[in-house]
Amino acid sequence: MALMPIAVVVVGVFLPAYPLRILDLVLLYAILGMGLNIVVGYAGLLDLGYVAFYAIGAYTYALLASPQFDLHLPFLLILAIGAGLAALAGVLLGIPVLRLRGDYLAIVTLGFGEIIRVLMNNLDWMTNGPQGIARIDEASLFGWRVSTPVDFLYLLVGLAVLTFLFVWRLQESALGTALAAVREDQDAARGCGIDTTGVKLIAFATSATIGGVGGVVFASMQRFVSPESFTFWESLSIVLVVVVGGLGNPFGVMLGAGLLVLVPELLRAYADYRQLLFGVALVLVILARPMGLIRREYGPSWFARKLMAR
Amino acid sequence: MLIFDHVTKRFGANVAIDDASLTIRPGVITAVIGPNGAGKSTLVNMAAGSFRATSGRILLDGVELQGLPKYKIARAGLSRTYQNIRLFDGLSVLQNLEVALVPRSLPTLIAQAFWLGPGAGAEVRDTCMAVLQRLGIAHLAERQAGSLAYGQQKIVELARAVAARPRAILLDEPAAGLNHGETDELKAHIQTLRGPELAIVLIEHDMRLIMSVSDDIYVMNRGAVLAHGNPEAIRDNPQVQEAYLGQPGAMGNIEAAARGRRNRVRLRAGEGLAWGQS
Ligand SMILES: Nc1ncnc2c1ncn2[C@@H]1O[C@H](COP(=O)(O)OP(=O)(O)OP(=O)(O)O)[C@@H](O)[C@H]1O
Ligand SMILES: [Mg+2]
Repeated sequence: MALMPIAVVVVGVFLPAYPLRILDLVLLYAILGMGLNIVVGYAGLLDLGYVAFYAIGAYTYALLASPQFDLHLPFLLILAIGAGLAALAGVLLGIPVLRLRGDYLAIVTLGFGEIIRVLMNNLDWMTNGPQGIARIDEASLFGWRVSTPVDFLYLLVGLAVLTFLFVWRLQESALGTALAAVREDQDAARGCGIDTTGVKLIAFATSATIGGVGGVVFASMQRFVSPESFTFWESLSIVLVVVVGGLGNPFGVMLGAGLLVLVPELLRAYADYRQLLFGVALVLVILARPMGLIRREYGPSWFARKLMAR
Repeated sequence: MLIFDHVTKRFGANVAIDDASLTIRPGVITAVIGPNGAGKSTLVNMAAGSFRATSGRILLDGVELQGLPKYKIARAGLSRTYQNIRLFDGLSVLQNLEVALVPRSLPTLIAQAFWLGPGAGAEVRDTCMAVLQRLGIAHLAERQAGSLAYGQQKIVELARAVAARPRAILLDEPAAGLNHGETDELKAHIQTLRGPELAIVLIEHDMRLIMSVSDDIYVMNRGAVLAHGNPEAIRDNPQVQEAYLGQPGAMGNIEAAARGRRNRVRLRAGEGLAWGQS
């Protein structure tokens, strides 16, 4: 398992710039997907507004490290602030909405995503509205300037590994058990003493934090942010990464991220039919494998057991 | 000690519980019997916090349960099984029990999940395995709960309720749908539950089971407590016999009814049944 990130780095280092950028994007989506998976896959709640947390992270970096307010805080500090703000947003949104079930929750989170985007669009004095914020600072970590796609490859692989270990531990912990119970039968979970609203709130905030981190990295990668990057479609893409790849399974999410980024790129040659082909492919996958390409039980713990047994 | 103190529950115009008072003492097994629709499950549902009584109090060791959220009632020490099995089907049997032992404080949960504190995983696991062992289903620990035979699922549900180390345990028709052999096994398990601290409520239609395990019996009819006493007194109570089919000597009819009902449950649980016979 430890070989996978090393392999990604080795392959990535020799790639030309364009495919390398795509690889970076795959890693970013994998991180976001693993974050969203906590809510959608572990707790079984449909969150259609995940992009809001991503946007909060991205704008945090854009505002605190650009000529916009002439602030140039260090990358790591902003990473912490962005993650914190996203977590706070997750809690503030979570408190009123987590009592809602299924469809209602999906609609409210969708609305929240849109609200954040509309805010970014209209708070001109702060965000420049639709024009967005440009000339964002280069990221730097302990004196290491993160600027080329290869630099970001290292950064993203590192973050992906951390996220992976984190969500694995979370899933295996008592919190993971509680979330699984919520997903299976919320009422019976309450009857077993689970504070369902409380554990859902933790899941929501944790997932939001990872979204915020992803947003900060995204802004430092693009060095430009605008509301256009944070539409509902972005939320939907991340949900698809999870659902197509494998609900509740970080390996599945990685595969899903790969497919959802790569397939549209490969279909570029057929520009006219791209959307259509992609849509048809998605529907086919979901019909054929409703639980995702890699099922929940073939997750990291299963894999670790397999390795041990050999 | 679990006390229902002059509890009334109306669903619209329908009076499901009519000024019922029951005292369930720890250390003994208290059966609650009565015809279909008598209000037995409603008592359990109110105690567990699924809905509030229209009036009256429900006390567990002196603590008023009414108005507490469901999970706090569970934490106060009340656990239950359901008339229609409600396991976490997608989880393993062991995980089903672990849910009952998830740490109560959110900060502890966060600390464990975020690598800040020691995980209690192994300890919880051992406790749950011990419960499974006691109920003779340790070999099923890694099986997915939803894939088990109906009778096995009933035992798992009992195990989950026991794992929480409750102060009161309410069993809503644990023998419904079980065959004779399974019922005998269940009977043995219920008897081992007896402990000086634990108040046990057994709701059942199977009179053979009731008469052999219970120390104290409440008979409900149309939401009211019709009679209360030890098994012998209840068996000989003409009023009780009359309530069942309107004639003396009708006690046997309860069992007949229970048998008819058992078959129905069996049919409903067709999938589980097929598993059980394979
Ligand atoms: N959620 C509910 N809403 C409306 N009426 C209800 C509800 N639950 C129970 N009732 C009514 O309350 C009465 C008592 O039902 P309850 O389920 O408690 O009976 P029971 O004694 O458990 O019967 P059984 O032996 O069939 O399980 C019935 O008339 C039933 O229709
Ligand atoms: Mg009932």
